[in-house]
Amino acid sequence: MEASDSHPPQGTRALGGRAVRLGRHVANHNAVILLLPLGLGIILIGAVDSSLSDQLRWLMALVGWAAAFLGFRAIGRLNWGNDFDPGLWLAVGWVAIVVLAAVFADILPLAEAVDTVKALTEPSRKRPELFSRHPLGTDNQGLDILGGVIYGARISLQVSLLAVTVGIIVGGIAGTVAGYFRGIPDMIFGFITDSLLAFPPLVLLLAVVAAINPTVWTISLALALLGIPTMGRLARANTLTFAQREFVLAARSLGASRRRIIFRELIPNVVRPLLSYAFLIVALLIVAEASLSFLNVGISRPTPTWGNMIAAGQEKVKDHPHMVFVPGIVMFVTVYSINRIGDAARQRWDPREASL
Amino acid sequence: MLRTIAPKILHLIPVLFVVSLGTFLLLELVPGDPAIAFLGEEATPAEVEIVRLQLGLDKPLVDRYVIWLGDAVTGDLGTSLMFPQSTVTDLVQQAMPLTLQLAVMALTVSLVLAIPLAMWTAYREGTTVDRVSGAGAAVIISLPPFLAALILIYFFVFNPALTKHLLLIVGLVGTLALLVKSVQAGGKELRPERARRLVGALLLLLFTLWAFNKWPTWPRIGFSRLTSGNGFGENLRHTFLPVLVLAMTEVAIFSRLLRTDLIATLSEDFILSARAKGIPTWRILTQDALRPSSFSLITLAGVGLGRLIGGTVIIETIFGIQGMGRMVAGNITTNDFPIVQGGVLVIATVYVLLNLFVDIAYSYLDPRIRRGSI
Repeated sequence: MEASDSHPPQGTRALGGRAVRLGRHVANHNAVILLLPLGLGIILIGAVDSSLSDQLRWLMALVGWAAAFLGFRAIGRLNWGNDFDPGLWLAVGWVAIVVLAAVFADILPLAEAVDTVKALTEPSRKRPELFSRHPLGTDNQGLDILGGVIYGARISLQVSLLAVTVGIIVGGIAGTVAGYFRGIPDMIFGFITDSLLAFPPLVLLLAVVAAINPTVWTISLALALLGIPTMGRLARANTLTFAQREFVLAARSLGASRRRIIFRELIPNVVRPLLSYAFLIVALLIVAEASLSFLNVGISRPTPTWGNMIAAGQEKVKDHPHMVFVPGIVMFVTVYSINRIGDAARQRWDPREASL
Repeated sequence: MLRTIAPKILHLIPVLFVVSLGTFLLLELVPGDPAIAFLGEEATPAEVEIVRLQLGLDKPLVDRYVIWLGDAVTGDLGTSLMFPQSTVTDLVQQAMPLTLQLAVMALTVSLVLAIPLAMWTAYREGTTVDRVSGAGAAVIISLPPFLAALILIYFFVFNPALTKHLLLIVGLVGTLALLVKSVQAGGKELRPERARRLVGALLLLLFTLWAFNKWPTWPRIGFSRLTSGNGFGENLRHTFLPVLVLAMTEVAIFSRLLRTDLIATLSEDFILSARAKGIPTWRILTQDALRPSSFSLITLAGVGLGRLIGGTVIIETIFGIQGMGRMVAGNITTNDFPIVQGGVLVIATVYVLLNLFVDIAYSYLDPRIRRGSI
């Protein structure tokens, strides 16, 4: 299966006798590369040809994906060496597609996904069929699921990015100040974060949305309450180590003010691990937002979100599983991709991970 | 001992104070008059006045907080606004056992599965088993719980025949793989590895056939209380799927964490010396390596129990179980504020107390912390 594993490492290119080895290397990779178009072809046929049985189409999708993945990995390894991580780049590609689709949702040729009145003439609960008006099917009201998923991505990204930005700014500054001054600011900081973390995350969110009127802005701020203590503790822990370093001592002995030390010396260093954790927090917040919509206490129709689409489909999951699983799969792949990117970012930029 | 516990308990008091204050102030966040939010715009002034009295909105803020806190401490969490009215304390008493049972069962199941899995993957670090379980854990951690629950419902409840046969195939393939491995174990005599694999294969086969034969119909919603007289089996049938969903995530988190710690322990000198003495691998893993590696697992398990108590909200809603989470989430849309406040206060208090308990257990288990040297 893994033809490339038996190959000599890339370094052997520089050694003697490489012509033969390199020749076989390339030949094998060339064969594996063909799996990419082959796999994509199988997926496409399975997706389009509705005369085949459902089981066969699922099998074709699975086999096609495996083949395409191997082909993609072979191309990557050939170009960028054996360190190439195909999963990471697929994740980056997926997140890029989701972001682009969410940004340009308004100019994409999508069927009606928001206004039920305009969708009155559309068939309801139609099965997904590629190359039709509704590539991913329609829901109870005949609203287009592809459109709903894309507008839902817009809400998910808006809410989670806004929340994480507030979390980084507020938590980061508070944590850095607490970690640099210690003493009373640190005590107050610890007290507030402890209190916020004293609620189970979802229960804290439920308590807040019980009192507010859920809109994109209020939900973002509620979610920011989850991000602030985590980001704050992270910033404090990093500040504690950075404050011991020579460059801070040097700045202080040059007569730099405390504000200058915090904003020009510490924060530029602290922000990097915070950003690497931001991915993981964004993934968590996407799930949290969807959970609220799913429980019918978050953003609700007519605005489509992944959570309220899944909630609307769950009654009919037996006969019309696509209404649950299409938004579900999109959401899962997005969360998984962001986690994957976050892991890579953390290994690279978080000083504590890197030292391990 | 008291010297390490006392500051932790003292630290708890201000946190609980802020928790109660935060929960209480929820009502102040409500835009407009909470009584109108509950009754709707068409309510008559007399109705509004009754609800305002019941919420205590006629008194100043500080008075209301003191009265509310005093009542809460003595076990009176107020009365629900919705008809039929009942005290929140009664509602909590009905809901709490269900949530606690789900959380405790999920935690037990996840520890029982995660510890052997972690030992196996740590011992076989970097092999296919390790990589597959690592990838699986990453997938499960990214799977939102409500989606996992709906996937399980789709297969277990709505397509039972398919699921049953898939499990049969998996069980038989597993049995076959174990048999092949035991044949491959080399030599002619019955060596311990071979005997273990044979016994394992037999047990797996028996279990698969038993499960296939006795496969129950899993209920889509509902719950059978242990005290209802339907027996433990009926209770298990209703809790199986919810507990499975709850335990899945915890297994992924626990097993990866314990694996990392075990790998660090396994590279220590005392493990090398144990191995040099010829102590069998499974004894090294269970008796020498597990204990020093389990500290962060214990912390996480305690946090996990708290998270499970809060996280059953979604599971209870999907599976129609009248637990704490559903009590809170279900009454948000009806604006029944006393229930939401009371439920949140109880959950948060249990959560804080559990974390304290874990802190104490942790310092009890690790002598370095007990003596205050860390």
